[in-house]
Amino acid sequence: MKIYINADSIVTPIGFGTQENLAALCSYRSGLTNHTTSDVSDTPIVMSEFHDHSIRLESKILDLESQYTKFERLVIMAITDILDQTHIDLEDKTVGIVISTTKGNSVLIDHTAESQDGRVSLWKTSDRIGRYFGAANRPIIVSNACISGLSAMIVGKRLIEAGVYESVIVAGCDVLTHFITSGFKSFKSLSAKRCVPFDARRDGLNLGEGAGAVLLSPNYDENSILLAGGAISNDANHISGPSRTGYELNLAIRGAMREAGVEPADISFVNTHGTATVYNDEMESKAVTLAELQNCPVQSLKPYFGHTLGASGIIEAIVCAHELRMGTVFGTFGYERPGTPMPLKVSAEHQRIRKMRHCVKTASGFGGCNAAIVLSLPQYAKPELETQPAQLRSIRSISVFNSQIKVGKRIVFSSKSTEYGTFIREAFKKLGDENLKFYKMDNLCKLGYVAAGYLLNNVEFKPEEMGIIVMNAVGSLDTDLDHERIISEQGDAMASPSVFVYTLPNVVVGEICIRYKIKGENTFFIREGHESEVTMKYIEKAMERQNLRYCITGWLELIGSRYRVNLNLLENTGFKGDKGDTIETAEAAEVEKPRKPRRKPTKPKAAGNEQVDGEDFLTTESTKNTEK
Amino acid sequence: MEELIEKLKGELIAELNLEEVTPADIDAEAPLFGDGGLGLDSIDALEIILILERNYGIKIENPAQGKEIFYSVKTLAEYITANQKK
Repeated sequence: MKIYINADSIVTPIGFGTQENLAALCSYRSGLTNHTTSDVSDTPIVMSEFHDHSIRLESKILDLESQYTKFERLVIMAITDILDQTHIDLEDKTVGIVISTTKGNSVLIDHTAESQDGRVSLWKTSDRIGRYFGAANRPIIVSNACISGLSAMIVGKRLIEAGVYESVIVAGCDVLTHFITSGFKSFKSLSAKRCVPFDARRDGLNLGEGAGAVLLSPNYDENSILLAGGAISNDANHISGPSRTGYELNLAIRGAMREAGVEPADISFVNTHGTATVYNDEMESKAVTLAELQNCPVQSLKPYFGHTLGASGIIEAIVCAHELRMGTVFGTFGYERPGTPMPLKVSAEHQRIRKMRHCVKTASGFGGCNAAIVLSLPQYAKPELETQPAQLRSIRSISVFNSQIKVGKRIVFSSKSTEYGTFIREAFKKLGDENLKFYKMDNLCKLGYVAAGYLLNNVEFKPEEMGIIVMNAVGSLDTDLDHERIISEQGDAMASPSVFVYTLPNVVVGEICIRYKIKGENTFFIREGHESEVTMKYIEKAMERQNLRYCITGWLELIGSRYRVNLNLLENTGFKGDKGDTIETAEAAEVEKPRKPRRKPTKPKAAGNEQVDGEDFLTTESTKNTEK
Repeated sequence: MEELIEKLKGELIAELNLEEVTPADIDAEAPLFGDGGLGLDSIDALEIILILERNYGIKIENPAQGKEIFYSVKTLAEYITANQKK
């Protein structure tokens, strides 16, 4: 099945709607300006930020401002633009919504509040957006650090391939706040000038805000662009520093090209993440070369938009789609001289490309994640990769709750201590693991790390054969509150990098990948509860398309003293590759076939008394939840 | 100097979450980063920059500059002694 981008919208400080943004790019207009004072940073900062009044003027819907946060308004604007271009109706049960963001409404996080504003939870803010449109299906939220946008497009594509939806609107957005700017500042990764990706002078990135949305469907018209392939990988190296070799981003690029059926010679240009930090661009130059794309024109759009985080993958992919149509590759604004270990064909000026056919778009992020997609002009589409449906069985399941760890129904560890810190340290020591990095992790990562230790006991696999697709309701809220407390009490300058790095939920996946050398797909969903139909269909399709032999899936959540893990280790018995020995455990069982996709937004039912839903988690630490 | 070295060891253990490590375990002249020694990484380097700023009023803007200063607890103590505002 071929999936196309059939409508798109970009909402950024340089334009409302895709055409305005493309016009800005054509005339080398950047949204990046120096703000000596600002509402989102204690110190001067170069960023691409909306003027509030411009959003107000453009949003057209007058009552939007009073009821919805800036994040919600931007997503609503981008989706409205898509709906205006098409006959798509979100009340239609066959239409899905996937939303990508790193920090959503981080402006509302408040450590002093007795109860967090409900909209801090990404599933709640997404539900509000869904309700605004009267959507038949609840949005699915992907929070995968800086690859979120590309992740969400891959999720949208696979959900259509899996038959869950007939079409999907994928929307990504992030807005800048003290929370975000102080964190990047603590990493010393911000440039005081407009960023210059791949240039020898590059000294950091600039942040930007914006939203992007695309409509994905198998329908085709003369303006469609084919989303021909997509893949995700993990460095399994470090939670914040990029790989030193670029090998894993290269794996994602090759995976996406394999799905699209294209060879390096077919690629007309590469749109990289290109943040302009020293190490990111260095890594990308190596990855592009390993993927044999070093002869293609390479661009980064960050000098125009800044790094728009969870929106960047979508915004930049939309620009790529139009570049394919226009026969133009936009220049990497400001680029002067090469500064990467492997030479790349970067140009400051826009270039006409005569043989425009396919392009590769990449992204990399905290937690060691990488993503790549291939976009194609439909007339040059190659035969799609043929794969066999995954045959799943559960090799082992693990639950962690109430100072107790169970493998299947067997208790493998329990602690007398009801205090989380003591329990998790004891459980870690019982594993015989002497990794001192454990003590540096935040509580969510410690939980995931220990659970994975028990789950993967005696399991052997190749790095690319194992994936991790997990979810929870509150993301990384436990550590978000720590970071917010530090900056509100001591100022932005005292933000701690070792706290900030854990304010992304997918970093727990990164920690597990590093410890167990896992390099396959890694995706973090935010869901209200442990509902299984849609995510199971996704997991099944991801394992099939990425040729995963194993996948760690399930629920992983912690807030304050409350925690819950329910993870499964799945095996694809239809895996194609060197199978070696199969793993036999006492707990192995066939996986129940995912049921039909849920057609109505209903409250997920609790599956037995072990079920904990997100609402419960968010409110138990305090007394009530204020949905505004 | 000895006093400062001991104080620094305590600060590193507390701020970098070096549980299971005691001040006696830290050799003042051994490398702090890389394999062996304490195995600190780039995030730890950024945290040490914060310790210098908060506790000693010393600013290091460029992390690359830190490489020699942060080699060991001893080099760190020497740098603080030379640069601390009296």
